[in-house]
Amino acid sequence: MNSGPLLFLGLFATMACSWTGFVLAPQLQLGGLAQTNTVVVGDVLPQTYPLAQPGEAHAGSEVYRANGCAACHTEMVRPLDLGSDIQRSWGVRRSLAEDYLFANPVMLGSQRIGPDLANFGQRTDTNGVYLRLYDPGLITHGSVMPPYRFLFETRKIGFFPSPDALVLPDRDAPPAGFEIIPTEKARALAAYLLSLRQDGYLFEAPPPPLAKTNAIATNAVPAVKPAAK
Amino acid sequence: MNPGEPNKVVNQKDAEPVAGRSTVPIWLIIVFGLLFYWSQLFLAENAGGFNKEVYKPYPSFEEVAAANPQDPEAKQRAEGLRVYSSTCAACHQASGLGNPGNNVPPLAGSEWVQAEGGNRIAHIVLYGLTGPINVKGQDFNGGTMLPWRETYTDEQIAAVLTYIRSQWGNKGGPVDSQVVKAARAEARPTYETPDELLKIPVK
Amino acid sequence: MNVTVSPAPIISPASSQSQKVGSAASCPVGMLTLFAGAILWLLCASLLGLTTSLNFHAPTLLAGHGYLSYGRVHAAQNAALLYGFGVPSALGLGLWLLCRLGRTTLAGPAIVFIGAIFWNTAVTLGVGAILCGGGTGFEGFEMPAWCAPILFLSYLMIGLCALLTFHQREPGPLYPSQWFVVGSLFWFPWIFSTAALLLLCVPARGVLQATTAWWYARNFDTVFLGFAGLASAFYFIPKILGRPLHSHYQAALAFWTLALFGSWGGMPDGAPLPSWIISLGVVGTVLMAVPILTVATNFYQTVREDLNTLDADPTLRFTYVGLFFWVIAGAQQIVGALPPVSVVTDFTWFGPAQKELFRYGFFAFTVFGAIYYIVPRLLDLDQSAWHPKLFKWHFYLTFFGVLISYISLLVAGIGQGILLANTGNSFVDVMRRTVLPVRSIITGDLLVALGTILFLINFASVLATACRRCCAERKESA
Repeated sequence: MNSGPLLFLGLFATMACSWTGFVLAPQLQLGGLAQTNTVVVGDVLPQTYPLAQPGEAHAGSEVYRANGCAACHTEMVRPLDLGSDIQRSWGVRRSLAEDYLFANPVMLGSQRIGPDLANFGQRTDTNGVYLRLYDPGLITHGSVMPPYRFLFETRKIGFFPSPDALVLPDRDAPPAGFEIIPTEKARALAAYLLSLRQDGYLFEAPPPPLAKTNAIATNAVPAVKPAAK
Repeated sequence: MNPGEPNKVVNQKDAEPVAGRSTVPIWLIIVFGLLFYWSQLFLAENAGGFNKEVYKPYPSFEEVAAANPQDPEAKQRAEGLRVYSSTCAACHQASGLGNPGNNVPPLAGSEWVQAEGGNRIAHIVLYGLTGPINVKGQDFNGGTMLPWRETYTDEQIAAVLTYIRSQWGNKGGPVDSQVVKAARAEARPTYETPDELLKIPVK
Repeated sequence: MNVTVSPAPIISPASSQSQKVGSAASCPVGMLTLFAGAILWLLCASLLGLTTSLNFHAPTLLAGHGYLSYGRVHAAQNAALLYGFGVPSALGLGLWLLCRLGRTTLAGPAIVFIGAIFWNTAVTLGVGAILCGGGTGFEGFEMPAWCAPILFLSYLMIGLCALLTFHQREPGPLYPSQWFVVGSLFWFPWIFSTAALLLLCVPARGVLQATTAWWYARNFDTVFLGFAGLASAFYFIPKILGRPLHSHYQAALAFWTLALFGSWGGMPDGAPLPSWIISLGVVGTVLMAVPILTVATNFYQTVREDLNTLDADPTLRFTYVGLFFWVIAGAQQIVGALPPVSVVTDFTWFGPAQKELFRYGFFAFTVFGAIYYIVPRLLDLDQSAWHPKLFKWHFYLTFFGVLISYISLLVAGIGQGILLANTGNSFVDVMRRTVLPVRSIITGDLLVALGTILFLINFASVLATACRRCCAERKESA
């Protein structure tokens, strides 16, 4: 181990090993992922999945990125037996590589100071998103999420109140004659958050056996753990 | 002086450290070996055969495939829907009600569709139809249905026939692809009139 | 191996060349800039860390225009710590060790200086941009895309000087620190360029961005910073104790296994990836036990007879405490990778606890120890240039600060994990119940920040001493 060139060669070999295993091989396997069909479940018939992100949602993902939302929120659901994600109604099934096909940038996050957002679009609506951004403490008492009031503007009510004006309780209400409306960024962010859904079972994450009924598959979690192992 | 043993040396100012020649203790090698062995067992059980479609908790591709709905009926219905939506619904509509204004007969509630067997409708799909046809007491004149024998396989045609026979409240059993295969073997001319149709056995 | 080593005292005699290293003749400005910048950035990171901790006491306090909101400040803190403090101190350390062990002078000191200026400029602009909303959203790689080329070029400049310095070394056997330094210098451009290409230039498709980001973060911490810190430990502990390192072969085993296994991993257990990627990561992380055990036994055997004197020297104290933290952080990482544990601890404060201990407890401490030794020698002073009282306060404040932060994060993480595993507890409930340890992190951050300020003052006083002496010499010769 006294030769410089040998040292470099050895380092190159170990680096190549790691690079091949974690950069090249995943690229070869997952780089060619394309849209696929969801799995037939009872009466729910196959659909194309995933669908491309609408434009405003992409702009919203930029707002998400700029404000570092991934510092507190993850966007990945773990399988049924590995963690309590599905029991918490954070998703119907685990997240797969297919789910992020059209996401750019992909901000999976690594910490849950706040709940997981992979299926946030299924849990809320536009108004709920705006309220949570404007005053998180309103929805969740004692929340540590900072308010994002700079995404909204307070302006004088014109002839008629704006249809987008937030309906706020007294503690947050604007002064008389003023209304609070979301800015472009808030709208985009809301569009992005509402586009976050990972429904439809895929080949890699098939439905649990009990979901095979004639009813449309819902977010209901099977009472018994699937026997398939 | 045993070369394997490091000496206590005098602290000389500006002396640079050197490394002694002690060997790696055997217990460390054993630990390494054990951990390596464990890692191979772990990978055998948890790496899913390095298959890109195997995600936790499934240990292998076979288990993932087995966990997917195996019901051939469900698969056939899915294929039938796909064919219907992409080709038939353009004229017969997704609701199966057809388009009387354009001489497209309905499939929903149609006695032709709900016949005892699917042979007759298999012929219609394979070879096409011109000329008037009476469905549910209504006459449809002047419409043309294209032949689909070049476009779809026997299984696909059987799937779409099964689909229309069980959809929209229709009461009809599944159609086997053998029926379609036999109908295809007859190698009829391209178009048929309804008079000839009634001569075809239903089953 | 080198057979010229005789049974006689196995130390290498001093070479007159090595005395030139760090003297004014070899122009220390480059290395000093790297170290000074690093300390300033460490302080900056500590203050940003304080700001993030404040969020858990009063989330509405700094929410105003978004510049100081948690997400942005957290990203800025990471950038300041890793790129402002981590890389420059690793470079400065590496350059000095290559000079010393190669018994040569630094090649291209002016280029090192320019590179350091460029690097620090890029980091300053990058951190500012993150606070204004320009962050990339990738943990460990937060600075905007336009920073990457500047950083890469500056690194190449400094790295080239290091390569030349290594090349012009005196012939002889390589000491383990040299392997580690060359290893860390080699590793960074590879992982950085891969990440820059696949995340920023030609973004990879879908989830591959996440795999690249995780791979990069793991390699940066465990391999790049790990190599740099261990290089320092391998040099200073035997050097100051006046003993040889116990085993060359154990050091070699540790080196290659760290390079091989430390670079595998970083994917959380529930990530949306095929199971083989995650399992390979688990295997790599668990096999890290080999380098950790090897290094631990190697050093234990080296210092076994001098355990009482370990506290005597500032460098020694910081270095061996740092090494101790490295072992604990590594052990925690291994335990946290095992599937039964990671199911509970993933996505909780457990991960940040390990990172805090590794980056502050191990790497920062090792760098402190190195700076206490290197800087006086760069300025032709000796150890007495440091104020002993400031050093003592620096040590105890940072030691207890790191300990408090680490234990708070660990308790919060394990508590959060165990409570969340029970589906009867709502998420909000769990957050409320773990808020107390999370709030106590600020105490640790405060102590670390104070300790760093004292270190900065001490550092400045050493520089001032050198300046005064230089002025006095100039007056005499005039």
